[in-house]
Amino acid sequence: MVATFSWEWMKRNAGTLWPLLVACVIILGFQAVNPTFLKYEGLVTLVYAMSYFLIAACGLTFVIMMGSFDFSVPSVLKLAALFCVMYIEKLGFWAIPFALLVSTGLGLLNGVLLAYLNVPSFMATLGVSIVVEGIGLYLSKGFLHIMYNERFRALATTFIFGLPSIFYWAMGIWALCTFVALCTPFGRRTYAIGGNLTAARLSGINVERQRVYVFALSGFLAGLSGILYMAQLGGGSMLIGSDMSIPLFASVVAGGTALSGGMGGPHRTLLGVIIITWIQSGMLMLALGRDIQMVIFGLIAVGVAIATMDRKRIRVVK
Amino acid sequence: MVKTRRVWYPFFLLVRHPVAIVLVGLVVLFSLLYPQRFLTTLNLTTILKQFVTLVLFALGPSMVVVTGSLDLSYVGIWMLGGVLVWLLTPVLGLFAICVFPLLGLGTGFLVGVVHARGKVPSFILTLCLLVVYWGLTAALSGGYSRTVKGYEFITASLVPYIPTAFLWSLPLIGAAIYLMVRTRVGLYLYAIGSNEEGAKLAGIPVEKYKILAFTLSGLFTGLGTIVLFQHLGGSVPVELNLKNVVWPLVAIVLGGTPLVGGSGGPQRTLLGALTFSVFYRGLYLSLLHPEILQLLVGILLIVSIVVGARGLRGVEIT
Repeated sequence: MVATFSWEWMKRNAGTLWPLLVACVIILGFQAVNPTFLKYEGLVTLVYAMSYFLIAACGLTFVIMMGSFDFSVPSVLKLAALFCVMYIEKLGFWAIPFALLVSTGLGLLNGVLLAYLNVPSFMATLGVSIVVEGIGLYLSKGFLHIMYNERFRALATTFIFGLPSIFYWAMGIWALCTFVALCTPFGRRTYAIGGNLTAARLSGINVERQRVYVFALSGFLAGLSGILYMAQLGGGSMLIGSDMSIPLFASVVAGGTALSGGMGGPHRTLLGVIIITWIQSGMLMLALGRDIQMVIFGLIAVGVAIATMDRKRIRVVK
Repeated sequence: MVKTRRVWYPFFLLVRHPVAIVLVGLVVLFSLLYPQRFLTTLNLTTILKQFVTLVLFALGPSMVVVTGSLDLSYVGIWMLGGVLVWLLTPVLGLFAICVFPLLGLGTGFLVGVVHARGKVPSFILTLCLLVVYWGLTAALSGGYSRTVKGYEFITASLVPYIPTAFLWSLPLIGAAIYLMVRTRVGLYLYAIGSNEEGAKLAGIPVEKYKILAFTLSGLFTGLGTIVLFQHLGGSVPVELNLKNVVWPLVAIVLGGTPLVGGSGGPQRTLLGALTFSVFYRGLYLSLLHPEILQLLVGILLIVSIVVGARGLRGVEIT
């Protein structure tokens, strides 16, 4: 067992070890500043902050793994959340599958724009997110909507073994995504496309179809995250998830899923989400304003993007 | 030998610039729909004002888009520059406005170096930078939009019906077009956009010219924002509005610069900005809901990218 912890082993697994190390340092650092963090109340708050984030980040991880980018995750999340809160009274629980259907459809639209209409993914998703924001604003009229349905709220806020149920949702989704990424042909195809698009095409993968599926998955998970987030919050307006895009991206990349594609995976994203939400809670604890938080997250995002980029393999970066 | 066929020149022009048809069509359509309101001097002046805003924001980035990258930092330069002017006016007096070109130059150079050396995809890099600048803007201004007085002479009326900002923008537009069409720098940027590997093999110092492209983009944005600062009311918002980021992009793409680079350029952006201004103004007169307008702009962005990306084969699009 001595050989396992050799220098070579550490070098080979640097992608996992670095985030782990950073996570430990951050957790211990904030613990030193404020010892209430690792107590029960602090943990529940962290779990609430982390769970919906993890679900959305898993979807984005698949997209980044494939070498593309999905800018529309926060907007789709917002639309699904607003949809639920506004139509739960009229449609009953049918609002949930309907919201999922809409968000999956938006993901499909992103995928079709990229795969069949040759639109670069960040631009396609930017356009779709503008459209989605427009729809959300039109539906909600900019008002704050309150969720009165207690059964719907119980989806996320029932306590099982001392932790809210949204935690188990997130863990289940995370485990499922990890399984799909590592142990199924779907996952292998996604890695292959991210690794080398031309090689993937030549080896017989239907690249177009796979891209559409992955974007649909991302949309679906964004929608699910939005629904559970709404159940957790119990109400919301257009401001839900509006500052999310940079932290979300940072958490995926900080976990070790590089923007160059073909590496990382949802199992890594868990660490990234822990790091980012811990930093976020720490900054809230230090009473830093939203503006300073944005500055710090922006710098973190650029930093991790530079640090994780696989410069040997890629030749051209746009 | 390929037999060349002589094509009637105006027809050729229309095939190469399909947006010209759209522009003419929109003008005819709106003139017929609102005969009393569309072709009035007030409306045309408003269109020209919006055209100036779009062009001054989009001139620099359109040079970067020619190389196939993307520069989203223009709104950040405008916002942070505006607050720095407010901070520095008590110290420097009217010279404080020089902050804009300096900030633009610095930002462009920084982005170029990080993008070219660190191999980070430019859209995510500039997006993060935009968020950082927004955070700094909000932090420095204390959360309020600060108005600076004393620069009214920049937009003081010179010629009736024509906004002075338009006159100011003419030399900038001329310089940008001259640079892209008539100089070696422009030629190299087009070469990098159409095939980066090929440009490298042909002996063009690609990294250096990419840094130059971003620096030029920052500089043109910086110079443009001197005029825009006063044109848009002598103050900057402290909230990042996605609208401000997306509209110049729509102008670039609508003009016919494909996002993969290699063709188009600032001269096309003029056409795109004009078409977008006419489109937006016409819709504005139709008294639609603002949300619907936003939705239509998103759809316009997607449609124009799809049209711009037609006939792309053998280009890897992520």
